[in-house]
Amino acid sequence: MTPVLFLLTAILLGLFMLCGGAWALLYCLGQTRGSKMIMRAGLASYALAVILALTIALATPLQLKWKVLIMVSGLAYAFIPPITLRYLERLHAAWEPHA
Amino acid sequence: MSTSDSHTLHRSETLYRSQKLGMKYLIAAVALFGVMIVFGFLSALYYLFPGMFFNVFDFNMSKTLHIDTLVIWILMGLIGSIYWYLPKELGREVVGIRAAEWFFWIFCAAVAVVALIFLFVQTGKANMWTLWFIQQGRKYVEAPRWAALGIVGVMLVFSYNVIGTAIKANKVTGIVWVLMIDLIPLVGVYLFAFDSDTNMSNDLYWWWWLVHMWVESTWEILIGIIMAWVLMDVMGTPRKIVEAWLYIEVMLVLGAGILGLGHHYFWIGTPDYWLSIGGFFSALEPLPLLGMVVHAVYDAGMHKMKTRNRPAYIWITTEAFLNFIGAGIWGFMMTLPQINLFSHGTQWTVSHGHFAFYGAYVCGIIAVLYVVKQKVSGMELLAHRRWYWGYGLLNLGMIGMVSALLLSGMAQAFFERATGGSTLMAFVIASEDPWFTAGLWARAGFGIIFAAGYVALVYDLLASVKQVPLPTDQRRPSVVRSAEPEVA
Repeated sequence: MTPVLFLLTAILLGLFMLCGGAWALLYCLGQTRGSKMIMRAGLASYALAVILALTIALATPLQLKWKVLIMVSGLAYAFIPPITLRYLERLHAAWEPHA
Repeated sequence: MSTSDSHTLHRSETLYRSQKLGMKYLIAAVALFGVMIVFGFLSALYYLFPGMFFNVFDFNMSKTLHIDTLVIWILMGLIGSIYWYLPKELGREVVGIRAAEWFFWIFCAAVAVVALIFLFVQTGKANMWTLWFIQQGRKYVEAPRWAALGIVGVMLVFSYNVIGTAIKANKVTGIVWVLMIDLIPLVGVYLFAFDSDTNMSNDLYWWWWLVHMWVESTWEILIGIIMAWVLMDVMGTPRKIVEAWLYIEVMLVLGAGILGLGHHYFWIGTPDYWLSIGGFFSALEPLPLLGMVVHAVYDAGMHKMKTRNRPAYIWITTEAFLNFIGAGIWGFMMTLPQINLFSHGTQWTVSHGHFAFYGAYVCGIIAVLYVVKQKVSGMELLAHRRWYWGYGLLNLGMIGMVSALLLSGMAQAFFERATGGSTLMAFVIASEDPWFTAGLWARAGFGIIFAAGYVALVYDLLASVKQVPLPTDQRRPSVVRSAEPEVA
């Protein structure tokens, strides 16, 4: 690993996580406010996270197992916000009558 | 009763002795928070003026005081918050409260004596006298053995208070179950503070059990418990919801957090398989934090930001976000072994440590401080504007500090480690690199802003607030209803 690639890989990893977080935030915000524009921004964040995961997999010198982990995480990010939100909605509907 | 009176709680409303003790712990915690900032700023200055106080009060003691006061004030904040909420949760005074009160003063006296020893004696010869009466010489748990025994005493009494009260009250809520189980590792892993092995790898192996298991497992659960109570208090969230979420959080934190310990084992002489275990489970650690972000946004949308305690509510929401950024993003950048090889032990790690602690614990404890302020000041609605100063300055100061440290850390990892190969000359070159030094100057500058935020926070907590009428749509008894514990 060259010094430049080391630094670049670390930054890509951070950006990947940042985009995953932005996707979670915007998805939830979009759903609760019923805003298509926010949802689109959320999807764009997720798309960016996937692009970053692919870049990490194809262009960085990380070991194969870490690349696989990043790709699988990228896929998991697609499901975490919708599943969490659905669970929260059910939970609140069951225990908070005015929800 | 006047209209104004109808919107306030009665100041004379009796507090449990345990809640008064909780307040004492929280006051002590806030005072130590200030001491931590003083020594943090002093430590930052040593990087800019390395010869400062040479052979009088060196960097290592300043850093020790900065980190040890951090550990103690967070611990006091967590304990104080639990003493505050426990009688409310179980509907009775805490069992063994007299012993708890005694141990509070013993705890404070021990902290003061140890601080004086660190300031004026500092070090001793490598013998048992030093270990027992000056310092143990183990990073983050430097306190001499007598003081470490005192901490064990405090935690045992605290455990007795919790378990004894649950038995006496003859009811155990889901939250109290989690708390009682968490007490086992809370006390258990601290015992590793006493172990000392002449083999450095063995010593560090067990030492990390204490440091990691407290910070990334046991304390995470404690703050989760406290946040569950705060959510019921300030948002009126039903108990079943916070308990269900708490169980999930515990499962995820323990699932990823325990073996996430492996990221500390990369370079201390442990077998190679820790590289894979540590890297894998550390990479999973941000996932529950992602869920917390979703929950925070959902709650904000659900309740349309309506709350009877705006500062506490905003601080707990901030906790979810900054915990994700500080522990999640900052941690993920450097947790894989191939990256960590170059980044560990640099200012990059310092940046991650500051951000993660602030996001995970500091924001949560400040939220409890505002809950206590509301109760003590007798306000039914806490929505004044002065608290924004503390909130804004603390967050600006912290985000500025960690960004500056990240810059320095990246320069250090790049020039000293990756390019220079970790030689002495590479260390010197990296230390003089403009990117590195600029980051350190910026860190000191943002440190001043953070300190100003602390002053604003303390002022706001101590100063009185004007009565504000409760909006009509918030005049519902949900808070009282949801805070009622159910017998498990």
